[in-house]
Amino acid sequence: MKNSFLLFAVPLLLGSALFNVPRATAALNVVTTLPDYAAIAREVGGDRVNVTSLAKPTEDSHFVDARPSFVVKLRAADVLIEGGAELEAGWLPPLLENARNPKIEVGRTGRVVASAGLRLLDVPAVLTRAQGDVHALGNPHFGVDPIIAKAIAAHIAQAFAAADPSNADFYATNERTFEAKINAKLQEWGAKLQPFRGQALAAYHDSWVYFAHRFGFVIDTFLEPKPGIPPSPSHLADVIAKIRHDHVRAILVEPFHNRKIAERVASATGIPVVDVAQYPGALPNTDSYVALIDALVDRLVTALRSS
Amino acid sequence: MWEVMFWPILACVLLPWFLVYLGLHVVRRGIIFVDIAMAQMAALGICVALLLHLDLEGWATFGIALGFTFVGAALFALTGKREREVPQEAVIGITYVVAAAIAVLLLSRAAEGDEEIKNMLVGNILLVTPAELGKAFGLFVGVGAIHAIFRRSFLLVSFDRKQAIESGLNVRWWDFLFYASFGIVVTSFVRIAGVLLVFSYLIVPAVCGINLAGSFGRRMLIGWIVSLVGGIGGLIISFWWDLPTGAAIVAVFGALLVLLTVWRAVQKRSAKETT
Repeated sequence: MKNSFLLFAVPLLLGSALFNVPRATAALNVVTTLPDYAAIAREVGGDRVNVTSLAKPTEDSHFVDARPSFVVKLRAADVLIEGGAELEAGWLPPLLENARNPKIEVGRTGRVVASAGLRLLDVPAVLTRAQGDVHALGNPHFGVDPIIAKAIAAHIAQAFAAADPSNADFYATNERTFEAKINAKLQEWGAKLQPFRGQALAAYHDSWVYFAHRFGFVIDTFLEPKPGIPPSPSHLADVIAKIRHDHVRAILVEPFHNRKIAERVASATGIPVVDVAQYPGALPNTDSYVALIDALVDRLVTALRSS
Repeated sequence: MWEVMFWPILACVLLPWFLVYLGLHVVRRGIIFVDIAMAQMAALGICVALLLHLDLEGWATFGIALGFTFVGAALFALTGKREREVPQEAVIGITYVVAAAIAVLLLSRAAEGDEEIKNMLVGNILLVTPAELGKAFGLFVGVGAIHAIFRRSFLLVSFDRKQAIESGLNVRWWDFLFYASFGIVVTSFVRIAGVLLVFSYLIVPAVCGINLAGSFGRRMLIGWIVSLVGGIGGLIISFWWDLPTGAAIVAVFGALLVLLTVWRAVQKRSAKETT
């Protein structure tokens, strides 16, 4: 009897210390699917919001493993920020079905769809099942374009103001500050990358089209033929030939990708592998959105200068 | 906790009894990996449906997956216990790797990646919906009823093959029925709970039961208690420590097996000392 009591009491005690259930404070409870939306939400909400991201920065955002706290957080959420371009389609809907929180239902002001109003790139011209419906709405990796980040911040400020009208001015001011910060930084980033404009890069996964579009790179060589499918030998041979033919200068790899494959291609072609990430926090010292883009720009400059 | 964990707990109460029963068969037959091979055959069926551009939630896809499961069942029934030199487990292993490899080959030709397949086939017990639970429970009751009606034949074929053959049973046919019903149950449970959990629910409670008791009924009762304690304990730990749910349940099962084995050994030793 005593033993069975311990069996339950110990996890209970440890659990209550480790597992922070969102407290019922005045602050808005904000849940985001991805860490980049969380970083922007923190800029806009400051200390008047509690922000948590479901996906970790180093996790593959196509596949996120649900944990009990996800459902708890979604139940307590005043605002949910999601991408809305099917990137989270595999794991968000069942979580929402279990959380059953009317505040964040589709169409409510508590539901922010980051891609709403954006013109996404790579929308398929013809939609058939044979073409695959995975990216029917366009490429969902739009967070690394700073100009799109400004638009997302504006969405978020609107949603915060609707959920918490007494602080509407505070959110609007923060949003303008973020916008000004990005505008100033865009000059700096553009100047740093200017010498490399028009150069070609390869990527493990097709998640850099917006970054390429913004800063003038060409990224149309991909190491994986399809998400989750390892490259075949002939695909790798094609990639190596394309890298040589297009004078590709570097290979972009994210934390959860198979770096060995990239290294293999790099050693065959003599170009560097650059460790990059889509999400703040995945690279050292990138806890804010601006710090992430800073790191991406610096890493690229270093790699392209030496190659 | 209750709001989040109600449906998972209900699933851990309503579903495992039939898996424990099947697990006793599986351990007795020595075909430990048959569940993974069966689940992989069903996955292969779904890959074929994907390549034919069928609606993945539709009946045609279900039918194809079922068909592949039956092919697996026929294969295992035909290869069962014929040649002693090649154990059944070898055939099961080969079926698994070949089915998995063909699935990879098919998917490399499909327009979608493996996201959809992964989502379809491998569930997370934390996110079980009432509809899924209802369907699976109905299925288990249906298949369970067939096993209850023909329990003599099913038990004889698994536990006493010699007598089954002598008494004139068509062993191959009953083997096929066993594997087919097994495939249906396992595939539907994988969709709710994932591969790790199916495997542990089949094997761990059965092994605990065999270690602690002699008769089929008592083994099943012990197995059922172990499955309840492990399942609900794992769910509670997963909630309090915020751990991935399926893996937490499997770890609790492992711990229960170790505890019971140690307890049994201590008990045996003290029994020896007193005599």
